Amino acid sequence: MRKITDLASFNDAREAGLAKLLPPVPRIAIGMGTCGSGNGAEAVYHAFADAINHRGLSIQLARTGCFGFCAAEPLVNVWIPGKPLVILQRVQPNDVPAILDDVAAGRVPSELALCRIDEWDHITGHVKYGSGLTEIPLWNEVPFFKGQKKIVLRNCGLISPGDIEEYLAVGGYQALYKALIDGNPASIIESIKAAKLRGRGGAGFQTGSKWEFLRKAQADQKYIICNADEGDPGAYMNRNEIESDPHSLIEGMIIGGYVMNATEGIIYVRAEYPLAVHRLQTAIQQAEECGLLGDNILGRGFNFRLQMVEGAGAFVCGEETALIRSLEGKAGRPTPRPPYPAQSGLYGKPTNINNVETWYNVPPIVVKGPAWFTETGSPKSPGTKVFSLVGKVTNTGLVEMPLGTPLKTFVYDVGGGGTGGRAVKAMQTGGPSGGCIPHEMFDTPVDYESLAQIGSIMGSGGMVVMDEDNCMVDVARYFVEFTHSESCGKCIPCRVGLDKSLYYLNRITHGKGTDADLAVLDELSRMIRDTSLCGLGQTAPNPVLTTMRHFRHEFEDHIRASRCRAGVCEDLALSPCENSCPLHMNIPRFLQLLKEDRLEDAFVSVVMDNPLPASTGRVCQHPCDDRCRRTGIDESVNMREVHRHIADAIYPTERFDEMAARVAAMRKPPTGKKCAIVGAGPTGLACAFYLSILGHEVMVYDSNPDAGGMLRYALPDYRLPKSVLDREVELIRRAGVQFTFNVKVPGDISLNDLDAQYDAVFLAIGTWKESWIYLPGTELAGVIPALPFLEAVAKQQPVPLGRRVAVIGGGNAAVDSARTALRLGSEVKIIYRRERKDMPAIPEETEAAEAEGAEIVFLATPHRIVGSADGRVTAIEAVRTRLGEYDASGRRRPIPTDEIVRFNCDTVILAVGETVDLDFAKASGLKIKENGLIEVDRYTLETSRSKFYAGGDLITGASNVSNAMGYGKKAARNIDKRLMGVKRWCEVFPQLEYDQAAPAHPSDSRRHHVQEVEAEERARTFAEATLGLATVEAMEEACRCLRCDVRNGDH
Amino acid sequence: MSKAKVATVWLDGCSGCHMSLLDIDETIIEVAKKAELVYGPLVDAQEFPEGVDVTLVEGAVSSQDDLKLVQKIRRRTKLLVSLGDCAVTSNVPSMRNGIPPKVLLERAYVQGADVNHRPPSDGVPGLLRHAVPVHEVVKVDLHVPGCPPKADAIGYVVMELLEGRKPDIAGKVKFG
Amino acid sequence: MSQKISIRIDGELIHANSDQSILEAAHAHGKFIPSLCHMKGLTAVGACRLCIVEVAGVGRLLPACTTPVQDGMSVTTQSDKLRRYRKITLELLFAERNHVCAVCVSNGHCELQDLAQKLGVTSIRFPYTYPKVPVDLTHKKFTLDQNRCILCTRCVRVCTEVEGAHVWDVAGRGVGSRMVCELNRSWGESRYCTSCGKCVQSCPTGALAEKGFAVEEMTKRTEPISRLTDLRGANV
Repeated sequence: MRKITDLASFNDAREAGLAKLLPPVPRIAIGMGTCGSGNGAEAVYHAFADAINHRGLSIQLARTGCFGFCAAEPLVNVWIPGKPLVILQRVQPNDVPAILDDVAAGRVPSELALCRIDEWDHITGHVKYGSGLTEIPLWNEVPFFKGQKKIVLRNCGLISPGDIEEYLAVGGYQALYKALIDGNPASIIESIKAAKLRGRGGAGFQTGSKWEFLRKAQADQKYIICNADEGDPGAYMNRNEIESDPHSLIEGMIIGGYVMNATEGIIYVRAEYPLAVHRLQTAIQQAEECGLLGDNILGRGFNFRLQMVEGAGAFVCGEETALIRSLEGKAGRPTPRPPYPAQSGLYGKPTNINNVETWYNVPPIVVKGPAWFTETGSPKSPGTKVFSLVGKVTNTGLVEMPLGTPLKTFVYDVGGGGTGGRAVKAMQTGGPSGGCIPHEMFDTPVDYESLAQIGSIMGSGGMVVMDEDNCMVDVARYFVEFTHSESCGKCIPCRVGLDKSLYYLNRITHGKGTDADLAVLDELSRMIRDTSLCGLGQTAPNPVLTTMRHFRHEFEDHIRASRCRAGVCEDLALSPCENSCPLHMNIPRFLQLLKEDRLEDAFVSVVMDNPLPASTGRVCQHPCDDRCRRTGIDESVNMREVHRHIADAIYPTERFDEMAARVAAMRKPPTGKKCAIVGAGPTGLACAFYLSILGHEVMVYDSNPDAGGMLRYALPDYRLPKSVLDREVELIRRAGVQFTFNVKVPGDISLNDLDAQYDAVFLAIGTWKESWIYLPGTELAGVIPALPFLEAVAKQQPVPLGRRVAVIGGGNAAVDSARTALRLGSEVKIIYRRERKDMPAIPEETEAAEAEGAEIVFLATPHRIVGSADGRVTAIEAVRTRLGEYDASGRRRPIPTDEIVRFNCDTVILAVGETVDLDFAKASGLKIKENGLIEVDRYTLETSRSKFYAGGDLITGASNVSNAMGYGKKAARNIDKRLMGVKRWCEVFPQLEYDQAAPAHPSDSRRHHVQEVEAEERARTFAEATLGLATVEAMEEACRCLRCDVRNGDH
Repeated sequence: MSKAKVATVWLDGCSGCHMSLLDIDETIIEVAKKAELVYGPLVDAQEFPEGVDVTLVEGAVSSQDDLKLVQKIRRRTKLLVSLGDCAVTSNVPSMRNGIPPKVLLERAYVQGADVNHRPPSDGVPGLLRHAVPVHEVVKVDLHVPGCPPKADAIGYVVMELLEGRKPDIAGKVKFG
Repeated sequence: MSQKISIRIDGELIHANSDQSILEAAHAHGKFIPSLCHMKGLTAVGACRLCIVEVAGVGRLLPACTTPVQDGMSVTTQSDKLRRYRKITLELLFAERNHVCAVCVSNGHCELQDLAQKLGVTSIRFPYTYPKVPVDLTHKKFTLDQNRCILCTRCVRVCTEVEGAHVWDVAGRGVGSRMVCELNRSWGESRYCTSCGKCVQSCPTGALAEKGFAVEEMTKRTEPISRLTDLRGANV
């Protein structure tokens, strides 16, 4: 390679590079960072090389770095002269022949196209690729790239990192050239200062000031160091930058050396980054050969040598003083500052240390000037920052955004929201040194100060997204385990403090923590933060402090209820399905019992876990499906339908009496205690059943003539036939529960009466009041609320329903109303203001409604109901909405547009949610929360009045059957504990022996879906719409279970 | 005026703290006026009584019996005082903590024995994995370290408690 | 060049030399700031964090031993927060290793024990670790009992900086840190140990002791070492 000594030779090299970048023949470049190679880019490259060689095609093949969209790797750039550069995604070796066919024919392959680039601003240079191909989106029209501004990553994924000429072609080393020709180092420092460039390693110190310290230091030798010891779990920005564009780093450092009057530069890079090490080595060598590094650079008399040192992987060596000790060959332990490295650093000489990304910002600032730089970002933190967006987010990858961009842009816009459409819970920034930020705070702008204010840090740029499957206690424990093992041991707070923090966190995740532990952990964490010697210790408690602040309820769940909602903490959950079930049914047990052909035992197992198994088997929201580990293979086990099958195999048959007797025989001897339950809905029934089994005398009061609550009076017959419910209630009755119907509490019987007659009272009335919305026209005849409508149908009372019905809402009540109206012969439209995926109704129900002929209008907010002169509904008008910003729930807020749509109808059913009857809550004299719900202790369900408990919708607002029953079960446990003074709860459950081995060969059959009656047929009748699983199907489902509950003690 | 009920307990310790308690000299007269000793090595009571006002606990919690006893004591005592280093830090009893109990018993009763080469089994409570300070198993209201605590420190603590004050012993006592 | 400057410690105006640390200035005026890793004559390392103080205008706590005094500086050495943090630090040390004061050679003459009394530590809130750590009795005159070691590294520094032998160093990291003699030799086989005993005298606890001493008999004398460094002018 020719030495560059003057402008002429500089331009020659540049031209040579441009000829490679934009050759006269097509160019195919494969993204081969570690991320690309990990996804098979190596094989893709060789497939291209072999095929081009074999076919004798005139195509230039190159390797580039990574363009940032890791989720879509391997990425392949295809450029045909005159046309835009097209980036193909997820290219596999078997795609290669077709791609080459296209390119050879002068066509750009469009099937795999991710985006196109017409021209690219390399900041230091500009490349025009071509135009056309408008059917492919421009790169910054792709959601992942929208809003990104590539300054640091200006060259990544576009040029070959192994070729200095390509770097020169896009304006590389121009900044160095300018700096050396101008010969005014002081003005460069002024530029950096004016640009307000701040250290990208995380602390955010002003780079210009830091440079000035070193420049002013007097010494025979000075050093500049690049800190490339990137060690945070989940962060890989620096690796990618070096792998994709090593020369930018070298150029930045040479400029730094020149400005600060240092002739020795050292890059301290992790040995775990072999590709980065290799590419840097090559780049340094090329720069030396070109005369850009070494003696007399560009003939301007400046000498600068650069060497690379591989760090052995200690996290603490990211701390500058420890890094310096490591370079000196000593153990990597930090030393106190002062003295600062700028006074006494490597070998006691003045030293400057900057992060990789800080150096990348130098050449653009030198070329474009500070004013250009400060245009981007926020006033206090200008410029951009590269983040690695990873975890439970759809689009993962490297993201370069202007500083000051709010967190929600990262998660929802760039990241595309949670994986699999799940709700995002939190984000961890700054790795183990950072904090967990709850989704409610995603409005926070990402800059040094804002993140510090909420207890996190920017750090080097890791962003780990977490959803409901992440246990925040475990997250804190994980990060403390990391910093604990990386602590150097020099200072006491970090060495011993983290050891004890880890002890408490482990104890809590094992369910053995106490409330006192939380207080000690909090004080200890503050002490470690405030007194540790270096940044590692000072920031290590951040994950603990932030999770304890924002997710305290999760810590309390672990401590007080031995529950880990995420199902991560193994000691606290039997299996993911059991953990997600509000009733905590032992699902693996009944599946196994069925598999062992022990139907009666399976029935006992089911019914003792869930006294309404046939009803819940039909209408449960089945959260277990989302958690089933079988989804990792194909689809979840159809657990709900299996327990429905088990229940249906007993209830309607002659075996019922025998089984009911078996259950009744499990009743404990009478305790002499009396319990009253108000409300015979699912919550009350569940509580009554368990209290009776525990030997108490139980009386259930209800204002209706029969038991079941919402199950009987709100759920239509086609979902849950009354005959099914009748049998379940009969079993509960035979278990000893007594009922008094047609009695109102507190109307006919006051709470004081109950107090006088009973030892404990459980209040479990549901949400029987329909929410009303303000809408012009709701006073018109033909506007009816959903619940009374469903109740009237259930009670076979006449309902005034028109021919054309509009239902407002998106919950289960809306869909039930729609399907009921269809069965009564009406045409039905459902109007819902958000998207389909936001509908709270069970998806299967929505689909069934559509199949039966209901039309759903999404993204429309009703704004008035139109009436005729005689006061009858004639139409409904709705405002079309479009999706706006993400709200705190992680759903996009509907924004009204100018478009108004009108639907003619004669009936409007309002199904916008149910609330508790406030009058009851008020009349009860119990303490009420602001939202009108009764206040209870989260863990014991006790109300403000002694011996009164409350549960279900009364304390949560409208929920669903299984959640409600979960409260009933929990209340029974707590009431019994209070009445008896000892824990007897686990004695309730039958001891059933069953196989405790994970299946060697779980059935490989696909999930069996429930059989449905044909839509046309079922839409005409109230007969049950689904048929349940056949015996053989249920059995096969049981065989599909992977038995996550089995503990073999291997780990 | 009714006297306060005071108990003392000797768990895994050398009884040195009880000796130090007996060393409070003339203070004993004042104590006797205000307190009645209801349980401990110094009196003849078989069962730890209910409703004790102050219990002084000597010794670490080393065995299953220690654990059960100290839990019972906690339930039946208003103010629980850890008396001496063994109760406060587990001190000398803790020196066996690096060795698993099984190995320990083997060494003592098999390798180290001349006759009867087997660890005791009947009527001897099982050892806990670690001998631990009292406050690691139940809540402790006051710690009085020292091996043993000085008699005047004990006298001061007892008199203050009997007067209904919380004694301030910071700086007055030390470990060892 | 050292200059005379004025600072305030706990409100009291004090004259100090500009090359002194806060701790040195305080000690020179008989003011007590607790510390364990600091020893007059040895390089300050800021490891024990007991000497943390509050400095007016500085948002975080600073170690007095490594923070140089500045003219007009106002230092607070006692506050509720400092007292709480210092107690935690001491308790962590007691919980980390097996400090059985009652049977320790240094009982009654131990800086850790004294400090616990002075700062009012009467129990350890953290669970004890009960680690198994080495005891080295191979040296003919001295003993190393890591059960009592607090990793203050005074022995490392005195051996390197004063005796020039660098026999001692710390191996491992985090809670796994242990003292090692040379490259993990037993002390008795050390090739560089001069048996001068400076490490023993500087050890604040009973970790390093002379042989032949029973419980409570081992007293330490750091003053001769400090006097030596004073005379050498090596006082860093």
